[in-house]
Amino acid sequence: MPYIEVLGQQIEVDEDGYIQDPSIWTPEIAKAMAPMEQITELTDEHWKVINYLRDYYMKFGICPMIRKLCKDTGYTLKKIYELFPTGPAKGACKLAGAPKPTGCV
Amino acid sequence: MGAEKKLKAPKKATEAELRAIHIKPVPDEEKPKVALELLRRYKDEWRSLVMAMETCVKCGLCAENCHSYLGTRDPYNIPAKRADLVRKVWKRYFTPQGRLFGWLVGAEDLTLETLEMWYSYFYQCSECRRCGHVCPFGIDTCEVTMAARRILHQLGMVPKLHATTGAAMLKSGNHMGLTPAGIQDTLEFLSDEIEEENGFRIEFPIDKPDSDILYIPSSADFMLNPETLKGAARFFHYIGANWTITTRMTEAGNFGYLFDQALVQKELVNRLFQEAVRLGAKKIVWGECGHGWRAIKMYYNTMADLPHRIPITHILDEAAEYVKRGLLKLDKEKNPEPTTLHDPCNYVRACGLSENMRVLIKAACADFREMEPNREKNFCCGGGSGILFDDPDMYELRIKFSLKKAEQIRATGAKVLCAPCSICKAQFHPMIEEHHLGVELYGLIDLVGRALVWD
Amino acid sequence: MKFFVGQVMPYITVTIFLLGLLWRAWRWTGALRIHNITLSPFARNWADTIGIILAQILFFWNPWKFDRPLWVGAWPMHVALAGVLGGHVLGIYFLGTQFTYIGLSVAASKQASVLLGQLIGVVFLVALLYLLYRRIAIEKVRAVSAPSDYLHLLLMLAIVVVGDLMRFLPSAELEYEEARHFLAGLFTFHPVPIPDNWYFIIHFLLVQILMIVFPFSKLVHPLGMLWERWIVNRPYQDTPLGLPGVRLTLSGPAGGSTGSKGV
Repeated sequence: MPYIEVLGQQIEVDEDGYIQDPSIWTPEIAKAMAPMEQITELTDEHWKVINYLRDYYMKFGICPMIRKLCKDTGYTLKKIYELFPTGPAKGACKLAGAPKPTGCV
Repeated sequence: MGAEKKLKAPKKATEAELRAIHIKPVPDEEKPKVALELLRRYKDEWRSLVMAMETCVKCGLCAENCHSYLGTRDPYNIPAKRADLVRKVWKRYFTPQGRLFGWLVGAEDLTLETLEMWYSYFYQCSECRRCGHVCPFGIDTCEVTMAARRILHQLGMVPKLHATTGAAMLKSGNHMGLTPAGIQDTLEFLSDEIEEENGFRIEFPIDKPDSDILYIPSSADFMLNPETLKGAARFFHYIGANWTITTRMTEAGNFGYLFDQALVQKELVNRLFQEAVRLGAKKIVWGECGHGWRAIKMYYNTMADLPHRIPITHILDEAAEYVKRGLLKLDKEKNPEPTTLHDPCNYVRACGLSENMRVLIKAACADFREMEPNREKNFCCGGGSGILFDDPDMYELRIKFSLKKAEQIRATGAKVLCAPCSICKAQFHPMIEEHHLGVELYGLIDLVGRALVWD
Repeated sequence: MKFFVGQVMPYITVTIFLLGLLWRAWRWTGALRIHNITLSPFARNWADTIGIILAQILFFWNPWKFDRPLWVGAWPMHVALAGVLGGHVLGIYFLGTQFTYIGLSVAASKQASVLLGQLIGVVFLVALLYLLYRRIAIEKVRAVSAPSDYLHLLLMLAIVVVGDLMRFLPSAELEYEEARHFLAGLFTFHPVPIPDNWYFIIHFLLVQILMIVFPFSKLVHPLGMLWERWIVNRPYQDTPLGLPGVRLTLSGPAGGSTGSKGV
């Protein structure tokens, strides 16, 4: 099983780099994942999105509709793509500790 | 047989992921034997497969009519040659000519390499059946792809995407793993949006007992296609329907049909009827999903062994009937942009929806432009049958598979692309960017809902 | 050799041909289950189904629409084949006088029979050569071809070449009377020696080989098509439209209706 190293600890991820157990998420994990998603540095804007997604995921067990993400964070979809070049579902949600989306995405 | 060449194939599910769909992988050395047993069983079971295997004359007509071949020029993507990957084995083991004169008729042994070829090429086929439509004999090559995928599934050779989506179906009753709380929150959000746009609120009734209509949306609509859910709600509200959405079977798609045609598919059908009974539905109305609609319409009685008790129709057929009778007041000017329609393969080559889609789009859009070719001659979006893989090799293929489609769209000059199917939408979201098409993407009930005139 | 090819083998050939076809039909029908699948174009009723299948058989509708260069070879080849089969039956049975039934004199009918035979024989030959050329020259067709695909064409070409020689070479010609005498013997189970014409003997032998191969090869496709299209072109009964418990019902003038099918 592949893993990423965070603060000296090995965190299990799947082949696409998603963490296996969303409950163990910490901000450090997001930082460690950022380079894989073509993000050089996590700014406040990134954290606003990540924290929003994290809270949503913990509350509802899914990632929010992308439209809702935009509305609630006040960022346009274009802005989200600038922040997370690999996209909201596969980039931003990954950093927020959600599993890889399945189905027609 | 091309073993030295690196095959392009989607990432396979891990053992843990296979376990979640209750599959124990067959050890490599036993795979050919087991595969052959399964193929023999299907030969004795399904006429559609037997006829597809034994009718082809290799005229080659299908080649130029397959978007996969047009995009890749890989000879194994010629439908006849792709089907030959199974047919060679079929001839070798099940026909006198293949047993006696194997080399002469192109018969070959079934090996592990054969199976890897199957895995690669039957997941490059989108089961769009355009080859069947153009075939002089009507050979339904999709039946070959489905048989091969079923065999691969039982051997433990399943794409990660399909296996994890199947597992989500078993667990949550939808492909996205939506939770009841998530469904509720999303639909409330959409009710808010409708209120902002229409000036009045339309609620999405969730798990409402004594509903007359059970509406089955695609779970992807909850993530990517808000307008499709809103369009359906507007339509049902307009006609004053007593309708509901269930949180236990919130899936118009049917990935089980695309890879296992067993457990996952049955889970969906079982949940569907349990929910319809639980909520008292007299009719089930299907949302925008191509393969899922075809699976329900054409396969569940032979695949799921369940009696048909509650009638099921498609929302676009129902809405079109309203338009034909002049019962929906629609203002085309609410959709003024030049709009083209991508005909989802399963709608037009299996389910007879082409005219009804046109009834709707012409009534709802001011500037409708046909792409060429269209209706049952239309080309697939390139993502059909859920080959929406994102590993680099396969993603590159998806771009190639959609080359023909991009050409078609560009030629219309449209600004809005209507694609009333979740797989098409999921393929188009990135492909619009990859091919720089600059179009906005909607479903069809979306446009109808937006054009409704409320008194 | 001549005795075997002319008086024994035909019975073996016909037995294999007929049993082979029966076996194939049994294999295709058997206890197999059929999905309720349809494929465009859609039939609303059985008349539509028959229409779809006839359009394919008579006009090769799909090759015409989707691959014209294929049609250019395939349609004339099959029309010539049908003409040749009919011509053999009529010409040999009526000894060339079949056209007297449409008002020609006996002499004119015999001449027409010869001319028509020559014409169709040439069309047949050219069409087969075209199809062989196509299979070799076009990459994508070559890519899907097995050795047997070429051999089927070569076998037919050989039959047609010999047949055409008998039409065009005076030294190779066989009178209708001789052929009829020989075939009548076979049909009445009193076989007589095959006419002493090597062109005819080879022609007759090759045709028998073709008949033996027929049920065990792709040549059986005209029957396969009927089985296949019976699966995908059957009329499909749609679930009636109209939603229960709605305020705005479908009570228009047209009455109950079903999901429309684009034909």
